[in-house]
Amino acid sequence: MLSAEKLSKAVDGPDGRLLILDEVSLSVERGASLAIVGASGSGKTTLLGLLAGLDRPTSGSVTLAGEPLDRLDEEARARVRRRLVGFVFQSFHLLPALNAEENVMLPLELEGRRDARQRAASVLADVGLGKRLHHYPHQLSGGEQQRVALARAFVHGPQLLFADEPTGNLDQRTGAAVSDLLFALNREHATTLVLVSHDLDLAARCARLLRLRDGRVVEDDA
Amino acid sequence: MNPLVFAARSLRREFRHGELATLAAALVLAVAALTAVGTLASRVEGAILASATELLGGDLGVVARRTPLPESFSSKAAELGLSSSRSVEFSSVVFAGDKSQFSEVRSVDDSYPLRGALLVKDAAGIQRSAPAPASGQAYADRAVLNTLGRSVGDHLQIGGRDLQIMGEIVSAPGGPVFQFAPTVLMNTVDAEASGLLGTGSRASFRILVAGPLDAVGDYASWARANLPASARLITVAEAQANLRNSFERGENFLRLAALLAALLAGIAVALAAQRFARRKTEEVAVLRCLGASRNEIVLGLGFELLLLAVPACILGALLGLGMQEIAFVFARELLGATSGTVPLAPAGSAFVVGLAVLFGFALPPLMRLRDVEPMRVFRRDLQTRLRRFDALYLLPFAVGGLLVLLESGSTQLAGVLAAGLGAVAVATWIVTVIMLKGLRAISRRLPGALRFGLANLNRRRGLTLIQVGALALSLTALDLLAVIGPSLLDRWRADLPPDTPNYFVLNLQSDQRAEFDQRLQALGADNLSLLPLAAGKLVAINGKNVRPSDFEPDSRAGNFVEGEVRVSWSADLPPSNRVIDGRWPGAESKGAEVSVDKSWIDLFHLGLGDTITLRFAEQEITATVTSVREVDWDSFRVNFFMMLDQVHGESLPHSLISSFHLPADKALSDLSRAMPNLSLIDVNSILDRVRDIIGRVSAAVTWVLGFSLAAGILVLLAALAATAEERRFEIALLRTLGANSGQLNAAVLGEFAVLGLLAGLVAAAGAAGTGIALARNVFRMAEYAPPLLQLGLVALASAIIVMLAGLAGTRRIAGTPPMLVLRHGT
Repeated sequence: MLSAEKLSKAVDGPDGRLLILDEVSLSVERGASLAIVGASGSGKTTLLGLLAGLDRPTSGSVTLAGEPLDRLDEEARARVRRRLVGFVFQSFHLLPALNAEENVMLPLELEGRRDARQRAASVLADVGLGKRLHHYPHQLSGGEQQRVALARAFVHGPQLLFADEPTGNLDQRTGAAVSDLLFALNREHATTLVLVSHDLDLAARCARLLRLRDGRVVEDDA
Repeated sequence: MNPLVFAARSLRREFRHGELATLAAALVLAVAALTAVGTLASRVEGAILASATELLGGDLGVVARRTPLPESFSSKAAELGLSSSRSVEFSSVVFAGDKSQFSEVRSVDDSYPLRGALLVKDAAGIQRSAPAPASGQAYADRAVLNTLGRSVGDHLQIGGRDLQIMGEIVSAPGGPVFQFAPTVLMNTVDAEASGLLGTGSRASFRILVAGPLDAVGDYASWARANLPASARLITVAEAQANLRNSFERGENFLRLAALLAALLAGIAVALAAQRFARRKTEEVAVLRCLGASRNEIVLGLGFELLLLAVPACILGALLGLGMQEIAFVFARELLGATSGTVPLAPAGSAFVVGLAVLFGFALPPLMRLRDVEPMRVFRRDLQTRLRRFDALYLLPFAVGGLLVLLESGSTQLAGVLAAGLGAVAVATWIVTVIMLKGLRAISRRLPGALRFGLANLNRRRGLTLIQVGALALSLTALDLLAVIGPSLLDRWRADLPPDTPNYFVLNLQSDQRAEFDQRLQALGADNLSLLPLAAGKLVAINGKNVRPSDFEPDSRAGNFVEGEVRVSWSADLPPSNRVIDGRWPGAESKGAEVSVDKSWIDLFHLGLGDTITLRFAEQEITATVTSVREVDWDSFRVNFFMMLDQVHGESLPHSLISSFHLPADKALSDLSRAMPNLSLIDVNSILDRVRDIIGRVSAAVTWVLGFSLAAGILVLLAALAATAEERRFEIALLRTLGANSGQLNAAVLGEFAVLGLLAGLVAAAGAAGTGIALARNVFRMAEYAPPLLQLGLVALASAIIVMLAGLAGTRRIAGTPPMLVLRHGT
């Protein structure tokens, strides 16, 4: 489903070139779940961005559902994301001007689907927010906001879900509830999951764990 | 994704949420201000034009020399549904008993005047509006009655016809504003019967038409194509050359007001558009992450703006039309105009300008959103890559420049304003950069909250530069409206002080001078000026003979060559004259020298060192052009296109011409009886007319300026409220850290006070400079000094207004629980 070959990312800093990711290779099967863990600055988020096609590697290749992301331009990568990928972010990234239902409708509207509203309402009901459809982000708690974000991530039936510290901004109890929901939805939709987290308990719920240190893979329990 | 559908949805949602309200409000207000000022200016201009048609006596005239205009000129007017009136003007001697007076006689038909009113005084001295003189009747100027020793009701003779004097002329539309002999008005039937209009008469034949604007336009086109060789069109604009300057000044004032309103509107929309684009960055990153393509995003945002802008501009235009109607109710009294139809063109142009400004200023930042990295959803600090050069960034400048040019309708006004505002922008940038450096140096010594407020200025360096720039430009516009405009109007009114000469005397002989002076002194006359006058003909330029046929038929230059040229001389440069090139001949000169008015220099393509040959009876003088003068022709003083050096002038046969001011309650009948050879010209009615125009126009302009000012302040407040929104995150943070209201206010006040004072001072300096340039180059006023004290006070007031507006804008935010703000970031 997803594979990376010798993936490197370097940036130019004030003290010269800084290597953030150093020849990382991995492969994830359809329906599998992978947790990427590591300390702050180990390159987790950068790897997630490259795997999801949000950024281009300095060298190496990424293939997502047969699409060579590193060789596609930004427009083509956007099309791949629209079709195949869902995202959950640490800081939710709901659009403040849209209510819960409209936020969830967004990926469907980007695809031009006519049943966007019904579908969004149904998924929001699935995550327990059936009565909060018309609430704006600022009227929702953190946990509720992340549930809206989960609904948005799954609403268009993506094959791959990328989650970046999905419980990082939530208290333990809410975080646990959100992660239960995430894995439940993942199972239900048979989605391939790639998750980045500090939280080892959350990471442990994934079938496979990959540990990064200074941009290199130091542990892979594949 | 269908960008249009997506845009419509986004618009609906964001509008409901209030996200777009600031931009929509700025746009509505901007278009409303522009529509209101533009429409009001256009209506005032219409009223000025109506006033000018009253002077002309019709909407359009055709005048022919020596030969009457063909009948087709009347029938065409009738065919187009226009009313028409024919008149003939000629010089003749008017007799009464043994007395005579050389006069300008105007014979008119029964439909005279088509526009304006003929005002006369009857035997009882009561002023009334009168119809055209019937056959056997006449009206005459007071000078004619005085010289002839006749009163209303008596008789006079012209060309053997006996006419009864039915009234003393107070004002008669359609005549030249300034003429060398007093007027008599009679019926054309009598003039034709008198034989004075026969072959060889030096009469000029005129037809005036009046009616709907379109028909007048059609008539003008037809007349132009069918003009006989000796005929020309007289439009309202050129009808009254002496008053043209007044009309032009009035128009320029209105354009200035409209232009400044447009500028303020543009700034408000630009600020709101920039803010809109900034706030969209996060959203675009999320959309990109969810798979929206660059083009879909740009198209979506573009459509969203369009869907927002069209109704906002329509609403603004409607609101503006309503606002101007209220203002016009008050202005109408001053203008003495009827309401007329409301012109819709200014509303249309405001609509287009609104769209142009919105897209001109919003597109570049929105197009930049194309480059937002999707990775930004993970890392907010990831800056959008800046392209080194993007032609798009020229768009706001292009739109701004076009706006100035279109709204000003005059390249000179546009040039001065663009240069002034450009200088303000550059100066603001330099001063702000220096100030930010200074603040950084001293901020450690400031108390906590204030330091935080001022540190914000440095933290948002780019935004600070934009905000101070926008503020300085808005305040410059406000300074121009509030201080410079009114002071220029005062300066204009002072052009005709109470002792402006109201009488001219021609034909005074040198040996009569002592008696003349004495009599005038006895009458209490003042502001007396006396200059010699010799009449000659222009025969050659640079040794080459000039003939009327060298020039376009009936051109100004041709007329000068064909007619008499009056010259004078003086040891000192006369008042209301200024040497702009070369040197004044003075009392002593080596060869024959001549000083020439700038308009003649241009007309005959002359330069310093060229020679002009003039013939006076048997005597010919070839003089070298040694100076170029700029003459204030509106000063009501005796002025000449050409002035010779004194030595050569004195050798010519000449009389004297004088101008002076006589108090209203004094009469010159004794003078004219004692010195019957004198030609007395009473210019009181012209003077009154000019004063009336200046008074009415300046009153109306004051209204328009005030209106623009009010609209400008509203726009500025809206813009400031929007910039205050930018501070919501900082304020929430301060609140969280336990800042009380006093500390919050200190932070905000400190920040806005610095912004306001800086912008206010640069604006005051900019407005003063722009005012001087406007006075000199646009309004043609010498010696204008901008009121610096007032400007200084306005700068101080601006700082206070900006502070209070900033405080008002942040107060609302300060009331929001900080948690809400912090949770959602900026």
